[in-house]
Amino acid sequence: MKELVQLSVNGQTHDLVVRPERTLLDVLREDLGLTGSKRGCDLGACGACAVLLDGRPVSSCLTLAVEASGHEIVTVEGLARGGGLHPVQEAFVEHGAVQCGFCTPGMLITVTALLDERPEPTEAEILEALSGNLCRCTGYVKVLDAVRTAIRRMRQPGLPGSVAPEVRA
Amino acid sequence: MTATRIEYHAPSTLAQAVALLEEHGHAAAPLAGGTDLVPALKHGVLQARHLVSLARIPGHREIAITADGGLSIGAFATLADVARSPLVGAVCPALAEAAVQAGSPLLRNRGTLGGNVCLDTRCWYYNQTEAWRASRPPCQKAGGQQCYVNQKQNVCVALFSADTPAVLITVGARATLAGPAGERAVPVEALYSGEGLQPLAKSGAEILTEIAVPAPPARSGTAYLKHSPRDSIDFPLLGIAAAVALSGGGTIASARIALTGARSAPCRLPELEAALAGGPVPAAGDRELAQLATRSLGALFLTDAVPHKRRLAGLMAVDAVERAAALAQGWRTR
Repeated sequence: MKELVQLSVNGQTHDLVVRPERTLLDVLREDLGLTGSKRGCDLGACGACAVLLDGRPVSSCLTLAVEASGHEIVTVEGLARGGGLHPVQEAFVEHGAVQCGFCTPGMLITVTALLDERPEPTEAEILEALSGNLCRCTGYVKVLDAVRTAIRRMRQPGLPGSVAPEVRA
Repeated sequence: MTATRIEYHAPSTLAQAVALLEEHGHAAAPLAGGTDLVPALKHGVLQARHLVSLARIPGHREIAITADGGLSIGAFATLADVARSPLVGAVCPALAEAAVQAGSPLLRNRGTLGGNVCLDTRCWYYNQTEAWRASRPPCQKAGGQQCYVNQKQNVCVALFSADTPAVLITVGARATLAGPAGERAVPVEALYSGEGLQPLAKSGAEILTEIAVPAPPARSGTAYLKHSPRDSIDFPLLGIAAAVALSGGGTIASARIALTGARSAPCRLPELEAALAGGPVPAAGDRELAQLATRSLGALFLTDAVPHKRRLAGLMAVDAVERAAALAQGWRTR
């Protein structure tokens, strides 16, 4: 039996008919053409498919599309603001925190959610927030540099961000 | 896309959900966070044709302090909610420690306490894709005749690996189940059958709705230690919980220790508990007590290094007791 679902994705409402065994990731990528969220392990262990569900980062590969009906979903395509990149995205580009790029959408979603909740997270909180996102290229060093820059930028817009000092321990 | 075609039900009351589970019997499964159920569907090991979603049932998500100073936790509360709750942190810190170490932030935002308590047992030969499992006859848990781990006795020994139940058992928590015959409350310890094939000693039509943690006794403390390949995402290779109450003189009045990741159910260590009662607080790494705990474990059937896990269990058990006792020594009248 197919189910009627109403997905609110990046502020846009979509009425869809989906089979109940399809995941939110399946529907985002295949039906809505939003291929930013990546299918990594497809078992909830890598974080590449992370999206915001009512503001909280979740694995879209483990969330059935029918369960997401009626909730607010934000994917990496919905992070940019007013035609420009989100400060977190800008900082990732600047610091070269993107290598093969496969984990990047999930990282951006996780970091954005963290900074929405805690604008000035401690180093431990940053590491904890990212502990569900696996990266096999960067070694996380440049990712953490980018997060620190994004924190400073969001506190003081217009700040140059080439150097990322340690945030408070 | 999961390997199994399913029918989806979204009841708006608990009674409807119970009725649906009863109606469809073995072909039905309750769906809460789905972080363990969906992978099982994708692997084709869970044969449920009917998913009964608990998402639209109101309530059962609150965390509150009870009149006697204990905790009442709705079973649909997410692990993230449990981990960050100041109430849980104050009354039962080890439960917060166990919850925050389960899975990853992404999984804890969906996975529920009830789902963690009702986690299915796991095995190297079972939690695999259909292609992987097709290379040999199916194991008992996947519907076949053979257990590939315990080949001599040929009894399924899939492991129970959830983090939170060990803690709940040490503090004497109780679980409320809603079923066709109404509600019943049982000790969390009694929820487990000890069998790999059917780890839960409850009917399939019963839904876990609440966990009640009794008020901690004076001068008591709790701890949870987890050993896993990585600090995040992984199930515990071994998880040890301890709850210790001290006498006025500073000796151990009572100690309860439970471990997860070693058998088909979370299990207590009664010999160690008896050896500790009335005695001094052990030092971390006390070899004599660790060896006693290791010996009391009995035989384990695992796909990984058994002697290593047995030794580790003994050492971690003593460390957990020492940590819980340290909290108890810092007890302040609240």
